[in-house]
Amino acid sequence: MGRLWRIAVKDLRITVRDRGALLVMLAMPLALIFILGSALGNVGEGDSLDAEVAIVNDDAGEIGDRFVEGLTSAEEIDAVFNVHIREDSDAVRTEVERGDLTAALVIPADLTEKVESGEPVALEVPQDPGSEISAGVWTGVVRAGVAHACAQIITGRAIAEALPGGGLPMSGAGMPELGFDSVDVREIDIEMEKQIPMLSYYAAAMSGMFLLFGGMFGAFSFARERREQTLARMMATPASAKEIVGGKALGVAVIGALQFLVLLAGTSLLFPVDWGVGTLAVVLVGFAEVVAAAGFAMALAALGKTERAIGGIAPALIMLFSALGGAMIPIEQLPSWLHPLQVVSPVYWTIDSFLELMRGGGLVDVLPGIGAVLLIGMVLLGFGAWRVRYE
Amino acid sequence: MNAIVDVNGLMKRFGELVAVDDVSFSIREGEVYGLLGPNGAGKTTTISMVSCLIDPTAGSIVVDGHDAVREPGALKQSLGVVPQEVALYPTLTATENLRFWGSMYGLSGSALDHAVAEALELAGLADRAKERIEKYSGGMKRRINIAAGILHKPKVLLMDEPTVGIDPQSRNHILETVKGLNAAGMTVLYTSHYMEEVEYLCDSIAIMDHGRIIAEGTLGELRDVVGGMDVVDVRITEVTDRVLEHVQGIDGVRQADRTDGAIRVLTRSSGSILGRLVATLESEGAHVTSITVTEPNLESVFLHLTGKSLRD
Repeated sequence: MGRLWRIAVKDLRITVRDRGALLVMLAMPLALIFILGSALGNVGEGDSLDAEVAIVNDDAGEIGDRFVEGLTSAEEIDAVFNVHIREDSDAVRTEVERGDLTAALVIPADLTEKVESGEPVALEVPQDPGSEISAGVWTGVVRAGVAHACAQIITGRAIAEALPGGGLPMSGAGMPELGFDSVDVREIDIEMEKQIPMLSYYAAAMSGMFLLFGGMFGAFSFARERREQTLARMMATPASAKEIVGGKALGVAVIGALQFLVLLAGTSLLFPVDWGVGTLAVVLVGFAEVVAAAGFAMALAALGKTERAIGGIAPALIMLFSALGGAMIPIEQLPSWLHPLQVVSPVYWTIDSFLELMRGGGLVDVLPGIGAVLLIGMVLLGFGAWRVRYE
Repeated sequence: MNAIVDVNGLMKRFGELVAVDDVSFSIREGEVYGLLGPNGAGKTTTISMVSCLIDPTAGSIVVDGHDAVREPGALKQSLGVVPQEVALYPTLTATENLRFWGSMYGLSGSALDHAVAEALELAGLADRAKERIEKYSGGMKRRINIAAGILHKPKVLLMDEPTVGIDPQSRNHILETVKGLNAAGMTVLYTSHYMEEVEYLCDSIAIMDHGRIIAEGTLGELRDVVGGMDVVDVRITEVTDRVLEHVQGIDGVRQADRTDGAIRVLTRSSGSILGRLVATLESEGAHVTSITVTEPNLESVFLHLTGKSLRD
């Protein structure tokens, strides 16, 4: 362990004196978090017109039908909402919960019966709190629809009573009391996952991505040692090949851990980003990504013999991992066909775990993510140790 | 004295190229052993195999009783290596570099502090120990490069062309350092293509060419290879076959060869032939522009054995 640690500390000293590396590893991610987070601050909130809404009409009587007819036939409504007619109220509630629908209207089975008997009745309007404006408009539309439908029925009945032999079936004695007050529109906020500001999102994303850039600098260091003959000199000492590779990987990990802690502190203090309540869990996720970065460094050192060769491979791989992982555009906006490929990206697991913690999750929730990142890191490290060339 | 380095039948093949071919030598404890040869002769490949950096294709290496294949760790602990390139970290200070390399040999604590201080004194750079290596001159870097190889007081020091590309003052410092280390009991394997350095430092010398040792012995023994003869280089306006033929016919001339714009003559006594040599050349219409007389040295040995100069 002594030689491993000496090599790691030596690499840390060299990196701290390398302004270019510090710029890429610390200043760039902080700048990108600020720029992307500020520029895309409202994108993630998901509010827009032309919103998707659904109606479930469980009512057996005429009022429900009229209601639906009114909401689906008005051109003004059609211009703002895409109204879908559904039959399963539970499925609709789930769709709103997932954010697939902005809002919905569930008409109860006894609407007509209760309206006619003068009993209070409630219409359920599930809505996505993340789409506050669209859902609010939909609720207003439903309220107006209630008033309109009730007015139609009252008018219809009055006409019918005025006609000879006319009349509607009555329940109870006399004319039912129909009016706005008898129909209650209940807005139901579906419990959604906590929305994460884009600044926080990109803090997670850039941290995951730029820790891999730390790995790239680790690979550069290996190639530079090869070029400047310090690697050969190390090989001429009693240090074994395992100690040298282990020391270089440990160096990347130590540098990466410090890089992550600086990013964590920087984003918390400067912007500020809320990483969640589980600080230990946040640090563990970051350190797992650091292990992946160390493995990435050794794999790169095995793939490219020179700094130039590594410089050709590394950014492409980092961009690929980052794009798959959602570091460039939010994970939920990536096409579904990419999802199976995401599992190979340590950036994906890292971002996903950070977001889970930001939404209020705890260590247990992110253990699978931590495990996946560590596994990827160990596979990369194993490949690097197996294939790396020293001369 | 016992051999502390024993190399037998060493061979290294890189594909079709045989870089080192059946090389054998022994170095006695306390000896400075020189490997002399032009660039590409196989010196660095030989030293790389002795320091366990590359595996030999065939042959055996034993240093201080440790076999290179069976006990590479123990063998490396007995060796100090000074590579041809300056293998240091430019952005670290001299002290930081030396502390790192010392720790690679297992030094720590006060032993490391003491070794670093001693090595800095030896390099003559104690007063600049806290400066980064990148700010040093080429010669100063070379001196720290050597210091990094002797921190753990190795029994055998391998030095691969340690004076390439440096100023005369630093070269002298390095040569005196090697003398001093040897006087303190350190065995040294020294490679160079500078015959003056090898002549000055080495007790035993092996001359390498094309991967093979073509001659081995003390400086005196090697001089005897050319029969203890002087080398006379005569620069003339035009070297023709007829002129060369007449020179070869001069009594006392052992050998005469055409070199670049000159004739090189081997003779037992340069003083006795110089007058006749000049007269012969003038009579053939060749105008003499300069004459250089060199007593027998490794250059003449190499020339005698290979027909070419060490610097070719």
